[in-house]
Amino acid sequence: MTRIILEDVAVDFPIYGAHRSLRKTLVEHTVGGLISQSGNRLRKRIIISALRGVQLELNDGDRLGLVGPNGAGKSTLLRVIAGVYEPTHGRVLVDGRITPLFDALPGLYAEDTGYQNIVTSGLLFGMSRKQIESKIPDIEAFSELNEYLSLPVRTYSAGMISRLGFAVVTAIEPDILLMDEGISAGDARFAERAAQRMHQLIHRSSIMVLASHVDDLLLSTCNKGALMSEGRIVAVGPIADILKQYHA
Amino acid sequence: MIEFATTLCHEVSEMSPSSISTNSPQLEPPAAGENPRQFLLTNAGADLVGGLKRYDIWGRLGWLEVRRRYQRTVIGPFWATISFAIFVGAFGAVGAGLWHQPVGTFLPFLTAGMMIWLMLSAILTEAGTLFVGANNIFGQTRLNYSMLVYAMIWRNLIVFAHNILFFFALLLLFSPSDVNPNMLLAIPGMLVVILNCVWTTLLLGMFCLRFRDMQQFISSVIQVCLFVTPIFWPPEILTGTERGFIVSLNPLYHLIEIVRRPLLGQIPAMVSYEAALLMTAIGWTITYFVFRSFRKRIAYWA
Repeated sequence: MTRIILEDVAVDFPIYGAHRSLRKTLVEHTVGGLISQSGNRLRKRIIISALRGVQLELNDGDRLGLVGPNGAGKSTLLRVIAGVYEPTHGRVLVDGRITPLFDALPGLYAEDTGYQNIVTSGLLFGMSRKQIESKIPDIEAFSELNEYLSLPVRTYSAGMISRLGFAVVTAIEPDILLMDEGISAGDARFAERAAQRMHQLIHRSSIMVLASHVDDLLLSTCNKGALMSEGRIVAVGPIADILKQYHA
Repeated sequence: MIEFATTLCHEVSEMSPSSISTNSPQLEPPAAGENPRQFLLTNAGADLVGGLKRYDIWGRLGWLEVRRRYQRTVIGPFWATISFAIFVGAFGAVGAGLWHQPVGTFLPFLTAGMMIWLMLSAILTEAGTLFVGANNIFGQTRLNYSMLVYAMIWRNLIVFAHNILFFFALLLLFSPSDVNPNMLLAIPGMLVVILNCVWTTLLLGMFCLRFRDMQQFISSVIQVCLFVTPIFWPPEILTGTERGFIVSLNPLYHLIEIVRRPLLGQIPAMVSYEAALLMTAIGWTITYFVFRSFRKRIAYWA
Protein backbone atom coordinates (compact mmCIF):
# COMPACT_ATOMS: atom_id res chain seq x y z
CA MET A 1 0.00 0.00 0.00
CA THR A 2 1.75 3.06 -1.24
CA ARG A 3 0.48 6.43 -0.23
CA ILE A 4 1.30 10.04 0.26
CA ILE A 5 -0.47 12.26 2.71
CA LEU A 6 0.17 15.95 3.14
CA GLU A 7 -1.64 17.70 5.92
CA ASP A 8 -1.77 21.47 5.93
CA VAL A 9 1.77 21.72 4.62
CA ALA A 10 3.49 25.06 4.44
CA VAL A 11 7.01 25.85 3.32
CA ASP A 12 8.58 29.21 4.00
CA PHE A 13 11.94 30.03 2.54
CA PRO A 14 13.89 32.58 4.47
CA ILE A 15 15.83 34.79 2.10
CA TYR A 16 19.11 35.82 3.58
CA GLY A 17 20.76 37.28 0.50
CA ALA A 18 22.37 40.51 1.56
CA HIS A 19 22.00 39.98 5.26
CA ARG A 20 23.19 36.45 5.47
CA SER A 21 26.19 37.32 7.55
CA LEU A 22 26.54 37.01 11.26
CA ARG A 23 27.47 40.66 11.56
CA LYS A 24 24.18 41.82 10.13
CA THR A 25 22.23 39.44 12.31
CA LEU A 26 23.97 40.77 15.35
CA VAL A 27 23.21 44.27 14.18
CA GLU A 28 19.62 43.34 13.63
CA HIS A 29 19.37 41.99 17.12
CA THR A 30 20.61 45.19 18.59
CA VAL A 31 18.87 47.55 16.22
CA GLY A 32 15.70 45.47 16.13
CA GLY A 33 15.01 44.54 12.56
CA LEU A 34 16.44 46.51 9.72
CA ILE A 35 14.68 44.76 6.94
CA SER A 36 11.17 43.76 7.72
CA GLN A 37 9.01 41.98 5.28
CA SER A 38 7.51 39.33 7.47
CA GLY A 39 8.62 37.28 10.42
CA ASN A 40 8.05 36.99 14.10
CA ARG A 41 8.62 39.49 16.83
CA LEU A 42 12.10 38.19 17.58
CA ARG A 43 13.65 38.52 14.20
CA LYS A 44 12.15 40.11 11.16
CA ARG A 45 13.28 38.80 7.83
CA ILE A 46 12.19 38.35 4.26
CA ILE A 47 10.27 35.16 3.81
CA ILE A 48 8.92 33.58 0.68
CA SER A 49 5.92 31.39 1.29
CA ALA A 50 6.48 28.70 -1.32
CA LEU A 51 3.66 26.46 -0.10
CA ARG A 52 0.67 27.28 2.03
CA GLY A 53 -2.02 25.03 3.47
CA VAL A 54 -1.41 22.18 1.07
CA GLN A 55 -3.71 19.21 1.62
CA LEU A 56 -3.07 16.20 -0.56
CA GLU A 57 -3.73 12.51 -0.42
CA LEU A 58 -2.49 10.10 -3.04
CA ASN A 59 -2.99 6.35 -3.13
CA ASP A 60 -2.03 3.41 -5.32
CA GLY A 61 -2.66 4.11 -8.97
CA ASP A 62 -2.78 7.86 -8.70
CA ARG A 63 -0.89 9.71 -11.39
CA LEU A 64 -1.01 13.33 -10.44
CA GLY A 65 -0.12 16.14 -12.79
CA LEU A 66 0.86 19.41 -11.16
CA VAL A 67 0.00 22.40 -13.27
CA GLY A 68 0.33 26.09 -12.66
CA PRO A 69 2.38 29.10 -13.63
CA ASN A 70 6.06 29.44 -12.83
CA GLY A 71 6.61 29.96 -9.15
CA ALA A 72 3.34 28.37 -8.15
CA GLY A 73 5.17 25.88 -5.93
CA LYS A 74 5.18 22.77 -8.11
CA SER A 75 8.87 21.99 -7.72
CA THR A 76 8.81 22.82 -4.04
CA LEU A 77 5.89 20.46 -3.52
CA LEU A 78 7.81 17.70 -5.30
CA ARG A 79 10.80 18.32 -3.09
CA VAL A 80 8.68 18.26 0.03
CA ILE A 81 7.33 14.87 -0.98
CA ALA A 82 10.88 13.75 -1.79
CA GLY A 83 11.88 14.79 1.72
CA VAL A 84 14.46 17.36 0.70
CA TYR A 85 12.56 20.04 2.58
CA GLU A 86 10.80 19.24 5.78
CA PRO A 87 7.77 21.51 5.86
CA THR A 88 7.90 24.48 8.17
CA HIS A 89 4.31 23.73 9.10
CA GLY A 90 2.07 20.70 8.81
CA ARG A 91 3.16 17.13 8.20
CA VAL A 92 4.00 14.75 5.46
CA LEU A 93 3.55 11.01 5.45
CA VAL A 94 5.05 9.01 2.65
CA ASP A 95 4.71 5.26 2.54
CA GLY A 96 6.84 3.77 -0.19
CA ARG A 97 10.18 4.16 -1.85
CA ILE A 98 10.62 7.49 -3.56
CA THR A 99 12.39 7.86 -6.87
CA PRO A 100 13.00 11.50 -7.67
CA LEU A 101 13.68 12.25 -11.31
CA PHE A 102 14.77 15.83 -11.03
CA ASP A 103 17.77 17.26 -12.81
CA ALA A 104 21.16 15.64 -12.38
CA LEU A 105 22.12 12.51 -10.51
CA PRO A 106 22.70 13.07 -6.82
CA GLY A 107 26.36 12.96 -5.94
CA LEU A 108 27.58 13.00 -9.53
CA TYR A 109 31.32 13.56 -9.58
CA ALA A 110 33.02 14.49 -12.83
CA GLU A 111 36.28 12.85 -11.79
CA ASP A 112 34.70 9.48 -11.06
CA THR A 113 33.98 6.94 -13.76
CA GLY A 114 30.50 6.15 -14.99
CA TYR A 115 30.49 2.91 -13.03
CA GLN A 116 31.61 4.62 -9.83
CA ASN A 117 28.89 7.22 -10.21
CA ILE A 118 26.28 4.55 -10.80
CA VAL A 119 27.15 2.95 -7.47
CA THR A 120 27.35 6.24 -5.57
CA SER A 121 24.02 7.48 -6.90
CA GLY A 122 22.39 4.13 -6.33
CA LEU A 123 23.50 4.16 -2.70
CA LEU A 124 22.25 7.72 -2.27
CA PHE A 125 18.92 6.62 -3.72
CA GLY A 126 18.74 4.12 -0.90
CA MET A 127 19.69 0.94 -2.74
CA SER A 128 22.11 -1.59 -1.38
CA ARG A 129 25.36 -2.40 -3.13
CA LYS A 130 23.94 -5.74 -4.21
CA GLN A 131 20.79 -4.21 -5.70
CA ILE A 132 22.91 -1.78 -7.67
CA GLU A 133 25.19 -4.53 -9.01
CA SER A 134 22.13 -6.35 -10.26
CA LYS A 135 20.97 -3.24 -12.12
CA ILE A 136 24.28 -2.59 -13.85
CA PRO A 137 23.66 -4.80 -16.92
CA ASP A 138 20.36 -3.03 -17.46
CA ILE A 139 22.01 0.38 -17.12
CA GLU A 140 24.81 -0.66 -19.47
CA ALA A 141 22.36 -1.89 -22.08
CA PHE A 142 20.05 1.06 -21.90
CA SER A 143 22.56 3.91 -21.69
CA GLU A 144 24.61 2.48 -24.59
CA LEU A 145 27.61 4.26 -23.19
CA ASN A 146 29.69 1.09 -23.52
CA GLU A 147 33.36 1.64 -22.78
CA TYR A 148 32.64 5.22 -21.70
CA LEU A 149 31.25 3.84 -18.46
CA SER A 150 34.81 3.03 -17.43
CA LEU A 151 35.97 6.58 -18.11
CA PRO A 152 35.62 9.63 -15.87
CA VAL A 153 32.34 11.43 -16.37
CA ARG A 154 34.19 14.65 -17.25
CA THR A 155 34.94 13.06 -20.63
CA TYR A 156 31.22 12.76 -21.36
CA SER A 157 29.21 15.13 -23.48
CA ALA A 158 26.20 16.80 -21.89
CA GLY A 159 23.91 14.38 -23.70
CA MET A 160 25.88 11.41 -22.44
CA ILE A 161 25.65 12.61 -18.86
CA SER A 162 21.90 12.89 -19.09
CA ARG A 163 21.77 9.42 -20.67
CA LEU A 164 23.69 8.02 -17.73
CA GLY A 165 21.44 9.80 -15.26
CA PHE A 166 18.32 8.67 -17.03
CA ALA A 167 19.49 5.08 -17.23
CA VAL A 168 20.29 5.02 -13.52
CA VAL A 169 17.14 6.61 -12.15
CA THR A 170 14.91 4.58 -14.43
CA ALA A 171 16.60 1.36 -13.37
CA ILE A 172 15.32 1.79 -9.82
CA GLU A 173 12.13 -0.09 -9.00
CA PRO A 174 9.82 2.80 -8.28
CA ASP A 175 6.99 2.95 -5.77
CA ILE A 176 6.58 6.67 -5.97
CA LEU A 177 7.87 8.49 -8.98
CA LEU A 178 8.46 12.22 -8.75
CA MET A 179 9.20 14.08 -11.95
CA ASP A 180 9.95 17.70 -12.63
CA GLU A 181 9.26 18.84 -16.20
CA GLY A 182 9.88 15.41 -17.64
CA ILE A 183 13.41 14.52 -18.56
CA SER A 184 15.33 15.52 -21.62
CA ALA A 185 17.70 12.80 -22.65
CA GLY A 186 20.19 12.80 -25.47
CA ASP A 187 19.72 12.66 -29.20
CA ALA A 188 16.55 11.93 -31.16
CA ARG A 189 16.97 8.16 -31.23
CA PHE A 190 17.71 8.02 -27.54
CA ALA A 191 14.85 10.37 -26.74
CA GLU A 192 12.45 7.92 -28.34
CA ARG A 193 13.80 4.99 -26.33
CA ALA A 194 13.76 7.18 -23.25
CA ALA A 195 10.11 8.01 -23.76
CA GLN A 196 9.33 4.32 -24.05
CA ARG A 197 11.27 3.42 -20.95
CA MET A 198 9.68 6.26 -19.09
CA HIS A 199 6.29 4.96 -20.01
CA GLN A 200 7.14 1.50 -18.64
CA LEU A 201 8.53 3.07 -15.52
CA ILE A 202 5.40 5.08 -14.91
CA HIS A 203 3.40 1.94 -15.52
CA ARG A 204 5.36 0.02 -12.87
CA SER A 205 5.13 2.77 -10.28
CA SER A 206 2.31 2.91 -7.77
CA ILE A 207 2.09 6.66 -7.54
CA MET A 208 3.44 9.29 -9.85
CA VAL A 209 3.59 13.02 -9.40
CA LEU A 210 4.60 15.02 -12.45
CA ALA A 211 5.08 18.75 -12.68
CA SER A 212 4.91 19.92 -16.26
CA HIS A 213 3.81 22.59 -18.67
CA VAL A 214 3.36 20.17 -21.55
CA ASP A 215 -0.33 19.36 -21.91
CA ASP A 216 0.21 16.30 -24.10
CA LEU A 217 2.57 14.75 -21.59
CA LEU A 218 0.19 15.47 -18.73
CA LEU A 219 -2.83 14.10 -20.57
CA SER A 220 -1.04 10.94 -21.67
CA THR A 221 0.50 10.05 -18.31
CA CYS A 222 -1.75 11.47 -15.59
CA ASN A 223 -5.23 10.60 -14.40
CA LYS A 224 -5.47 13.35 -11.83
CA GLY A 225 -4.49 16.94 -11.84
CA ALA A 226 -3.83 19.60 -9.27
CA LEU A 227 -3.83 23.25 -10.15
CA MET A 228 -1.42 25.32 -8.14
CA SER A 229 -1.24 29.02 -7.70
CA GLU A 230 0.86 31.08 -5.33
CA GLY A 231 1.80 28.13 -3.19
CA ARG A 232 -1.67 26.72 -2.81
CA ILE A 233 -3.47 23.84 -4.43
CA VAL A 234 -6.44 25.60 -5.94
CA ALA A 235 -8.22 22.64 -7.47
CA VAL A 236 -7.87 18.86 -7.72
CA GLY A 237 -9.72 16.74 -10.26
CA PRO A 238 -9.42 14.78 -13.48
CA ILE A 239 -6.41 16.03 -15.42
CA ALA A 240 -8.44 17.16 -18.45
CA ASP A 241 -10.70 19.33 -16.30
CA ILE A 242 -7.78 20.80 -14.42
CA LEU A 243 -6.01 21.72 -17.64
CA LYS A 244 -9.19 23.30 -18.93
CA GLN A 245 -9.46 25.32 -15.75
CA TYR A 246 -5.79 26.30 -15.98
CA HIS A 247 -6.09 27.58 -19.51
CA ALA A 248 -9.42 29.28 -18.91
CA MET B 1 9.43 28.95 17.31
CA ILE B 2 8.18 27.28 14.20
CA GLU B 3 10.58 24.39 14.64
CA PHE B 4 9.12 23.36 17.93
CA ALA B 5 5.60 23.25 16.64
CA THR B 6 6.48 21.01 13.75
CA THR B 7 8.74 18.78 15.78
CA LEU B 8 5.83 18.13 18.07
CA CYS B 9 3.61 17.41 15.14
CA HIS B 10 6.11 14.97 13.75
CA GLU B 11 6.46 13.17 17.00
CA VAL B 12 2.75 12.73 17.26
CA SER B 13 2.45 11.21 13.83
CA GLU B 14 5.47 9.03 14.45
CA MET B 15 3.97 7.55 17.57
CA SER B 16 0.51 7.02 16.23
CA PRO B 17 0.33 6.57 12.49
CA SER B 18 -3.09 5.06 13.09
CA SER B 19 -4.48 8.48 13.91
CA ILE B 20 -4.06 9.33 10.26
CA SER B 21 -6.03 6.31 9.19
CA THR B 22 -8.95 7.45 11.27
CA ASN B 23 -8.85 10.77 9.47
CA SER B 24 -9.07 9.00 6.15
CA PRO B 25 -11.12 5.84 6.57
CA GLN B 26 -10.49 4.53 3.06
CA LEU B 27 -6.87 3.82 3.95
CA GLU B 28 -6.05 0.26 4.81
CA PRO B 29 -3.31 -0.41 7.32
CA PRO B 30 -0.09 -0.80 5.35
CA ALA B 31 1.09 -4.36 4.91
CA ALA B 32 4.09 -4.71 7.15
CA GLY B 33 7.36 -5.47 5.45
CA GLU B 34 6.02 -5.17 1.95
CA ASN B 35 6.98 -1.62 1.27
CA PRO B 36 9.83 0.28 2.77
CA ARG B 37 8.00 2.68 5.03
CA GLN B 38 9.34 6.12 4.75
CA PHE B 39 7.80 8.61 7.07
CA LEU B 40 9.35 11.94 6.40
CA LEU B 41 9.88 12.48 10.04
CA THR B 42 13.15 11.84 11.60
CA ASN B 43 14.78 13.46 14.53
CA ALA B 44 18.33 14.34 15.41
CA GLY B 45 19.04 11.00 17.05
CA ALA B 46 17.65 9.02 14.14
CA ASP B 47 19.72 11.11 11.77
CA LEU B 48 22.92 10.47 13.70
CA VAL B 49 22.33 6.75 14.11
CA GLY B 50 20.75 6.21 10.70
CA GLY B 51 23.62 8.05 9.06
CA LEU B 52 26.16 5.95 10.91
CA LYS B 53 24.46 2.76 9.76
CA ARG B 54 24.89 3.69 6.12
CA TYR B 55 28.60 3.11 6.33
CA ASP B 56 28.42 1.85 2.79
CA ILE B 57 27.60 5.39 1.66
CA TRP B 58 29.87 7.48 3.85
CA GLY B 59 32.66 4.98 3.56
CA ARG B 60 32.42 5.26 -0.20
CA LEU B 61 32.04 9.03 -0.30
CA GLY B 62 35.10 9.44 1.90
CA TRP B 63 37.20 6.92 0.05
CA LEU B 64 36.34 8.26 -3.40
CA GLU B 65 37.21 11.77 -2.29
CA VAL B 66 40.69 10.60 -1.29
CA ARG B 67 41.07 8.91 -4.64
CA ARG B 68 39.81 11.95 -6.48
CA ARG B 69 42.34 14.17 -4.77
CA TYR B 70 45.23 12.03 -5.81
CA GLN B 71 43.86 10.94 -9.15
CA ARG B 72 46.50 10.06 -11.70
CA THR B 73 49.27 10.28 -9.14
CA VAL B 74 51.36 7.17 -8.65
CA ILE B 75 51.72 7.15 -4.89
CA GLY B 76 48.39 8.80 -4.05
CA PRO B 77 47.82 9.87 -0.46
CA PHE B 78 51.46 9.19 0.32
CA TRP B 79 52.12 12.58 -1.23
CA ALA B 80 50.54 14.07 1.86
CA THR B 81 52.84 11.85 3.90
CA ILE B 82 55.90 12.92 1.92
CA SER B 83 55.26 16.63 2.32
CA PHE B 84 54.59 15.94 5.97
CA ALA B 85 57.89 14.05 6.25
CA ILE B 86 59.80 16.87 4.59
CA PHE B 87 58.32 19.37 7.02
CA VAL B 88 59.03 17.21 10.05
CA GLY B 89 62.58 16.57 8.91
CA ALA B 90 63.30 20.24 8.38
CA PHE B 91 61.62 21.61 11.47
CA GLY B 92 62.81 18.68 13.55
CA ALA B 93 66.40 19.79 13.00
CA VAL B 94 65.59 23.40 13.90
CA GLY B 95 63.31 22.64 16.83
CA ALA B 96 65.65 20.18 18.47
CA GLY B 97 68.23 22.96 18.53
CA LEU B 98 65.80 25.64 19.65
CA TRP B 99 64.49 23.78 22.66
CA HIS B 100 67.72 21.90 23.34
CA GLN B 101 66.07 18.54 22.86
CA PRO B 102 67.77 15.38 21.66
CA VAL B 103 66.68 14.66 18.09
CA GLY B 104 65.72 11.12 19.10
CA THR B 105 62.96 12.36 21.40
CA PHE B 106 62.02 15.59 19.66
CA LEU B 107 61.47 14.14 16.23
CA PRO B 108 58.89 11.48 17.29
CA PHE B 109 57.21 14.09 19.52
CA LEU B 110 56.95 16.59 16.67
CA THR B 111 55.81 13.94 14.19
CA ALA B 112 53.10 12.52 16.43
CA GLY B 113 51.77 15.95 17.39
CA MET B 114 51.90 17.32 13.88
CA MET B 115 50.19 14.25 12.46
CA ILE B 116 47.24 14.62 14.85
CA TRP B 117 47.19 18.35 14.30
CA LEU B 118 47.05 17.95 10.51
CA MET B 119 44.01 15.74 10.90
CA LEU B 120 42.26 18.02 13.38
CA SER B 121 42.92 21.19 11.40
CA ALA B 122 41.78 19.57 8.15
CA ILE B 123 38.56 18.42 9.81
CA LEU B 124 37.92 21.81 11.40
CA THR B 125 38.59 23.65 8.15
CA GLU B 126 36.48 21.35 6.03
CA ALA B 127 33.66 21.43 8.57
CA GLY B 128 33.04 25.01 7.50
CA THR B 129 32.20 24.01 3.94
CA LEU B 130 30.62 20.65 4.74
CA PHE B 131 27.01 21.57 4.02
CA VAL B 132 27.69 24.59 1.83
CA GLY B 133 28.97 22.55 -1.08
CA ALA B 134 26.86 19.46 -0.57
CA ASN B 135 23.71 20.49 -2.37
CA ASN B 136 24.32 18.00 -5.15
CA ILE B 137 24.12 15.22 -2.59
CA PHE B 138 21.06 16.10 -0.57
CA GLY B 139 19.16 18.25 -3.06
CA GLN B 140 17.09 15.37 -4.37
CA THR B 141 16.41 12.78 -1.74
CA ARG B 142 16.03 12.71 1.98
CA LEU B 143 19.34 11.79 3.48
CA ASN B 144 20.76 11.84 6.94
CA TYR B 145 22.94 14.89 7.20
CA SER B 146 25.24 13.16 9.64
CA MET B 147 26.40 10.95 6.77
CA LEU B 148 28.34 13.85 5.32
CA VAL B 149 30.05 14.36 8.66
CA TYR B 150 31.10 10.74 8.85
CA ALA B 151 32.29 10.77 5.24
CA MET B 152 34.50 13.77 5.84
CA ILE B 153 36.00 12.44 9.06
CA TRP B 154 36.54 9.05 7.49
CA ARG B 155 38.42 10.65 4.61
CA ASN B 156 40.74 12.43 7.01
CA LEU B 157 41.27 9.23 8.98
CA ILE B 158 42.42 7.57 5.77
CA VAL B 159 45.06 10.26 5.29
CA PHE B 160 45.97 9.95 8.97
CA ALA B 161 46.48 6.23 8.51
CA HIS B 162 49.05 6.94 5.82
CA ASN B 163 50.89 9.40 8.03
CA ILE B 164 50.95 7.05 10.98
CA LEU B 165 52.95 4.54 8.94
CA PHE B 166 55.60 7.21 8.55
CA PHE B 167 55.48 7.89 12.28
CA PHE B 168 56.04 4.25 13.16
CA ALA B 169 58.96 4.01 10.75
CA LEU B 170 60.46 7.10 12.33
CA LEU B 171 59.91 5.83 15.85
CA LEU B 172 61.58 2.52 15.09
CA LEU B 173 64.49 4.38 13.55
CA PHE B 174 65.09 6.99 16.25
CA SER B 175 63.84 5.58 19.53
CA PRO B 176 62.82 1.93 19.27
CA SER B 177 63.03 1.71 23.07
CA ASP B 178 59.79 3.70 23.33
CA VAL B 179 57.75 0.95 21.71
CA ASN B 180 55.73 -0.58 24.56
CA PRO B 181 52.19 -1.66 25.47
CA ASN B 182 51.27 1.89 26.50
CA MET B 183 50.88 2.56 22.81
CA LEU B 184 47.60 0.68 22.86
CA LEU B 185 46.15 3.60 24.83
CA ALA B 186 46.26 5.54 21.58
CA ILE B 187 43.22 3.58 20.41
CA PRO B 188 40.78 4.77 23.10
CA GLY B 189 42.40 8.19 22.80
CA MET B 190 41.70 8.22 19.10
CA LEU B 191 38.09 7.21 19.71
CA VAL B 192 37.60 10.16 22.03
CA VAL B 193 39.21 12.45 19.46
CA ILE B 194 36.88 11.14 16.75
CA LEU B 195 33.84 11.60 18.98
CA ASN B 196 34.87 15.20 19.46
CA CYS B 197 35.48 15.65 15.76
CA VAL B 198 31.93 14.50 14.99
CA TRP B 199 30.19 17.02 17.19
CA THR B 200 32.53 19.85 16.22
CA THR B 201 32.04 19.16 12.53
CA LEU B 202 28.29 18.99 12.83
CA LEU B 203 28.09 22.16 14.88
CA LEU B 204 30.52 24.14 12.74
CA GLY B 205 28.97 22.77 9.57
CA MET B 206 25.55 24.09 10.52
CA PHE B 207 26.90 27.34 11.89
CA CYS B 208 28.98 28.09 8.79
CA LEU B 209 26.11 27.20 6.52
CA ARG B 210 23.92 29.77 8.17
CA PHE B 211 26.59 32.39 8.75
CA ARG B 212 28.96 32.34 5.84
CA ASP B 213 31.50 34.62 7.52
CA MET B 214 32.34 31.92 10.01
CA GLN B 215 34.40 29.88 7.56
CA GLN B 216 36.94 32.65 7.18
CA PHE B 217 36.96 33.23 10.90
CA ILE B 218 37.57 29.58 11.67
CA SER B 219 40.46 29.22 9.27
CA SER B 220 42.23 32.18 10.85
CA VAL B 221 41.62 30.82 14.34
CA ILE B 222 43.03 27.45 13.30
CA GLN B 223 46.25 29.07 12.13
CA VAL B 224 46.72 30.68 15.50
CA CYS B 225 45.93 27.43 17.30
CA LEU B 226 48.88 25.76 15.63
CA PHE B 227 51.25 28.13 17.38
CA VAL B 228 49.65 28.31 20.81
CA THR B 229 49.25 24.55 21.07
CA PRO B 230 52.34 22.58 22.07
CA ILE B 231 53.05 20.83 18.80
CA PHE B 232 56.23 22.56 17.68
CA TRP B 233 57.38 23.01 21.22
CA PRO B 234 57.31 20.69 24.23
CA PRO B 235 54.57 21.60 26.74
CA GLU B 236 57.09 21.33 29.58
CA ILE B 237 58.61 24.64 28.48
CA LEU B 238 55.55 26.53 29.71
CA THR B 239 54.37 24.37 32.60
CA GLY B 240 55.04 26.06 35.90
CA THR B 241 55.54 29.45 34.32
CA GLU B 242 52.94 32.22 34.33
CA ARG B 243 52.03 31.24 30.77
CA GLY B 244 51.23 27.69 31.82
CA PHE B 245 47.55 28.31 31.27
CA ILE B 246 48.18 28.42 27.50
CA VAL B 247 48.83 24.72 27.77
CA SER B 248 46.57 23.62 30.61
CA LEU B 249 43.47 25.46 29.39
CA ASN B 250 43.97 24.56 25.75
CA PRO B 251 41.37 21.97 24.75
CA LEU B 252 43.34 21.04 21.65
CA TYR B 253 46.36 20.26 23.79
CA HIS B 254 44.44 17.71 25.83
CA LEU B 255 42.92 16.12 22.75
CA ILE B 256 46.33 15.78 21.15
CA GLU B 257 47.87 14.50 24.38
CA ILE B 258 45.58 11.50 24.75
CA VAL B 259 46.82 10.23 21.41
CA ARG B 260 50.35 11.60 21.30
CA ARG B 261 51.57 10.39 24.69
CA PRO B 262 50.56 6.78 24.05
CA LEU B 263 52.15 6.91 20.61
CA LEU B 264 55.38 7.91 22.32
CA GLY B 265 55.00 5.01 24.72
CA GLN B 266 53.87 7.15 27.66
CA ILE B 267 50.69 7.33 29.69
CA PRO B 268 48.77 10.61 29.28
CA ALA B 269 48.07 12.71 32.36
CA MET B 270 44.70 12.01 33.96
CA VAL B 271 43.78 15.67 33.55
CA SER B 272 44.02 15.31 29.77
CA TYR B 273 41.53 12.46 29.83
CA GLU B 274 39.25 14.43 32.12
CA ALA B 275 39.40 17.49 29.91
CA ALA B 276 38.79 15.46 26.76
CA LEU B 277 35.84 13.60 28.24
CA LEU B 278 34.37 16.79 29.63
CA MET B 279 34.66 18.33 26.20
CA THR B 280 32.96 15.32 24.68
CA ALA B 281 30.07 15.53 27.10
CA ILE B 282 29.52 19.27 26.86
CA GLY B 283 30.08 19.40 23.12
CA TRP B 284 27.70 16.59 22.37
CA THR B 285 25.01 18.02 24.60
CA ILE B 286 25.14 21.39 22.89
CA THR B 287 25.40 19.91 19.42
CA TYR B 288 22.54 17.53 20.01
CA PHE B 289 20.19 20.30 21.02
CA VAL B 290 21.30 22.59 18.21
CA PHE B 291 20.99 19.76 15.71
CA ARG B 292 17.57 18.81 17.04
CA SER B 293 16.31 22.33 16.70
CA PHE B 294 17.87 23.25 13.38
CA ARG B 295 18.40 20.01 11.46
CA LYS B 296 15.48 20.60 9.17
CA ARG B 297 16.61 24.14 8.49
CA ILE B 298 19.80 22.86 6.88
CA ALA B 299 18.04 22.36 3.54
CA TYR B 300 16.65 25.86 3.73
CA TRP B 301 19.97 27.43 4.56
CA ALA B 302 21.85 25.65 1.81
